Amino acid sequence: MNAKLKETILNPIFKNNPITVLILGICSALAVTVEMKGALVMSISVIIVTGVSSFILSLIRNTIPNRVRIIVQLVVVAMMVILVDQILKAYAYGIEKQLSVYIGLIITNCIVMGRIEAFALGNKPIPSLLDGLANGVGYGLILVVVAIFREIFGSGTLFGVQIIPQSLYEAGYVNNGLTILPPMAMILIGVIIWIQRGIQKDLQE
Amino acid sequence: MNTNSNTYTIVYSAIIVILVAAILAFASMALKPKQDANIKAETISQMLTAAQFYTKEECDEMGNDKVLEAYSKNIKRAFVINAQGDSTRALGTEAKNIELQDGLKAQDLAIKNGKNMELPVYVFEKDGKEITVIPCYGNGLWGPIWGYLAFNEDLKTFLGAYFDHDSETPGLGAKIKDDPDFRAKFIGKIADFSQVPVFDIVKTGTKKNQPNAIDGISGATITTNGLRDAVNTWLIAYKPYFEK
Repeated sequence: MNAKLKETILNPIFKNNPITVLILGICSALAVTVEMKGALVMSISVIIVTGVSSFILSLIRNTIPNRVRIIVQLVVVAMMVILVDQILKAYAYGIEKQLSVYIGLIITNCIVMGRIEAFALGNKPIPSLLDGLANGVGYGLILVVVAIFREIFGSGTLFGVQIIPQSLYEAGYVNNGLTILPPMAMILIGVIIWIQRGIQKDLQE
Repeated sequence: MNTNSNTYTIVYSAIIVILVAAILAFASMALKPKQDANIKAETISQMLTAAQFYTKEECDEMGNDKVLEAYSKNIKRAFVINAQGDSTRALGTEAKNIELQDGLKAQDLAIKNGKNMELPVYVFEKDGKEITVIPCYGNGLWGPIWGYLAFNEDLKTFLGAYFDHDSETPGLGAKIKDDPDFRAKFIGKIADFSQVPVFDIVKTGTKKNQPNAIDGISGATITTNGLRDAVNTWLIAYKPYFEK
């Protein structure tokens, strides 16, 4: 694997993470991270949408008329999102209901359009696919980390399985109510950004 | 080739849109049966939850087929009534052939227009006692809200209720579905047909010993008012049946 391709894959996951560095896709990161199950399905949906839309648009990039460029991108992204939504409705109905509007809102997720504009329209299909997938993974990684904290401390469970032992509850332990509300997700993402900037000095302003 | 000419742009856009429309239409048709089965199982599990057979979480874990079986096992009879409260048509209750009276929106309209009513009644049996489940439908803040009300044998006392919504605000209006404590408030309350409203959801707090009212949800006045109207409209439509 050449160095450039490696960078394409690894950059979005940590050094140039869409959530913590580019601050994109925050809305859904706050909303769907109460439980691991929802966060994981949301992450997989975003990975598929960013990856496949980048791939398709990169394939047809030389034929797209410049004046309707954004509209063509939107049509392809919207198609992918509707497909994902329809498939979830058929095979994971409960989770689809739980994620409700946020699946549909992937269309407006800046990560998707941002990667297409910035990368897919200027690169070959395979690197574009990898770039899209990697950005989705970078997004999903933060979602999963936040969801782990929120589910353990908010509900005492992980994937719906009880983690915090019953004896602790009997001894007077109480789930943290703030953790299941969106403000805690904001605080957690802030802490993650703080840690990342501590490690990566070049991000400090 | 000049990709910036007007003709090219128009033809290109048209082809892309037609192509995408075809893909989506195909996906929608291919997945429709599976989605309908999910919606049916969801409706049934809402009824079973309202009638206190299972909790909603238990129903979700059971999977579609077992939910249908559980319905078939516990139901005694299901039928459709007209405006006079007379049964006009029986609904299938065998696991393979469960018929539900869907299209609550159309029925809501029929109630409001006062004609062509075909309201479903689902009678379950638990420990030798009959449980009657009826639906309700109305408007919340952002979209439709609906639910199922379960009554004891006296056709007056609430045994339970379950509500669902299309797009109410998470954390506020969505509590009609997400907050088990709100649903639990219905249990043991009564629908009092001698009063107006028959059943009240009160913003300012219920008076002491008011058996036909519960507290609304803070910050969700329009949703709870909508729910109150939905429950009342439908209860009044069922009044002839209940009083027989």
